[in-house]
Amino acid sequence: MIVKDAVCPFCGCLCDDIEVEVEGGRVVAVTNACELGTTKFMGEKRMKNPILRDGNQWKEITCDEAVRYAADMLLDAERPLLYGWSGTHGEAQCVGVHMAELVRGVIDNTSSVCHGPSILAIQEVGHPGCTLGVVKNRADLVIYWGSNPIDAHPRHLSRYTRYAEGFFLENAFRDRKVIVVDVRRTETAEIADEFVQIKPGGDYAVLSALRAIVQGKTETIPRTVAGVTREQLVRVANLCKSAKFGAVYFGLGLTMTRGKYKNIRNAIELVSELSRHTKFTISAMRGHYNVYGSNEVNTWMTGYPFGIDFSRGIAFYNPGETTAVDILARKECDAALIVGSDPAAHFPRRCLEHLSEIPVVQLDPYPNATTAFCNVQIPVAVTGIDAEGTAYRMDGVPIRTRKVLSSDYLSDREVLLQMYTLMQEAKGQ
Amino acid sequence: MTYLMLTGRTVNQGVTVENKTSAEYAAETSTCFMHEFDMLELGLDNGDTIRVTGPCGEVVMRAVMSEEVGMGTVFVPYGPYANHVVAADTHSTGMPDFKSHQVEIEPTDEEPKRVHELMEDLGGLAYDR
Repeated sequence: MIVKDAVCPFCGCLCDDIEVEVEGGRVVAVTNACELGTTKFMGEKRMKNPILRDGNQWKEITCDEAVRYAADMLLDAERPLLYGWSGTHGEAQCVGVHMAELVRGVIDNTSSVCHGPSILAIQEVGHPGCTLGVVKNRADLVIYWGSNPIDAHPRHLSRYTRYAEGFFLENAFRDRKVIVVDVRRTETAEIADEFVQIKPGGDYAVLSALRAIVQGKTETIPRTVAGVTREQLVRVANLCKSAKFGAVYFGLGLTMTRGKYKNIRNAIELVSELSRHTKFTISAMRGHYNVYGSNEVNTWMTGYPFGIDFSRGIAFYNPGETTAVDILARKECDAALIVGSDPAAHFPRRCLEHLSEIPVVQLDPYPNATTAFCNVQIPVAVTGIDAEGTAYRMDGVPIRTRKVLSSDYLSDREVLLQMYTLMQEAKGQ
Repeated sequence: MTYLMLTGRTVNQGVTVENKTSAEYAAETSTCFMHEFDMLELGLDNGDTIRVTGPCGEVVMRAVMSEEVGMGTVFVPYGPYANHVVAADTHSTGMPDFKSHQVEIEPTDEEPKRVHELMEDLGGLAYDR
């Protein structure tokens, strides 16, 4: 059986033109997806049954036992952390927020360690963004700043920018210029019309220099700024000003370096400056396929996009205090529910030291690094493969992921709902 | 010698990310991409093992020559190896310094550990070796 127009649940591009061939309950071939998406569709190393850590060994338990364990763990905890959420569908994220509120816990998603700083900047100065379709059809200049789509979002270039056709561009490949700004000469840099190599940590200075040039203050710029010559900066500023429609896509090269959200704020303000001369937009290259959804769901349910603390009985948000890395590093939480992410692989070791000291339940289809710190892991269906649900593309467009095959695994939402029901009963609701 | 360590996505990290107990994921995320002159200075051949020491610990990785990084900078695909030396301080933003860590690098004869060994060192219990 061939399933057409399947949605790829890997990165924030959420490509919706995938063809998946299914035979005997297995995916046997994938067309149109990149290497990352193909591998995810073909992945077979699922965990079979829920597992419980019993001393120094693992034993298999039933799903009911695992759900009961998780519900009791959250009910008994004084300050539970509910973390992850970017690798699951919006409907499951919704249940997660309700659970966090019920037990007065902290709910945080992976954006606190990816584009959280971008959101802090957007909260300061706004987000002049647009959908990917607008960029594809109109942009004659695309800037990738601190992002490497060839490795991280492989089809971004072919669907929307470098190699894409554009409705309002006669010859998109010739008429659309691509500028790459990075500290590394990545593969993406090789396909750029202009590559701007910045000394590490110099993004803020280069953004400020470009803003000054766009404002007509070129004479204030020194001969080089963070390793970039004044001549190149002027050339880039002129390319931007002479574009009919420019789009900046920035990655973790801006959010994870010195300055963090201030870098993004400066980039957004450069885009505002350019919009006095022409049309310019800026957007983040979101990583997980539904990390944008976790921000959306959290925001419309609580008012805040990530790092939400319900301990006061109301939603409280203070990144640096209510975010997962900080809470774990301060050894503050006394239980953790992990859904759709792998903090043991992606958090600093100090956080893992605390994970090893508290009860942890994880919902994940695969054994991963966090499995080692779990008391219980419940394998679930993979959204976009054997479960369906809503995900938000990196430009904020919600797309319903499709189920391409059926399995016996429950979806994240189904497992979480069972937990939530038990918790409500225990609370007498 | 001191270097600036950056971490980030690579295609090989991405294709093995749902199979974290595999040797391929361990090999990719324990690779430290370096400039050839930096490797020359440390007397390293391609694939030699190195000890990387950061503000909160040390880990053994493998050095691989790369034309993408400049001298003084190294790049590690993000994962448990890089995070073994990254500090948890977020400067009140929620975000650790994943792309701006100073690390010491020296040659070593030790082999990189497997992912489950790193997790067990920190108190975990491997499920799938």
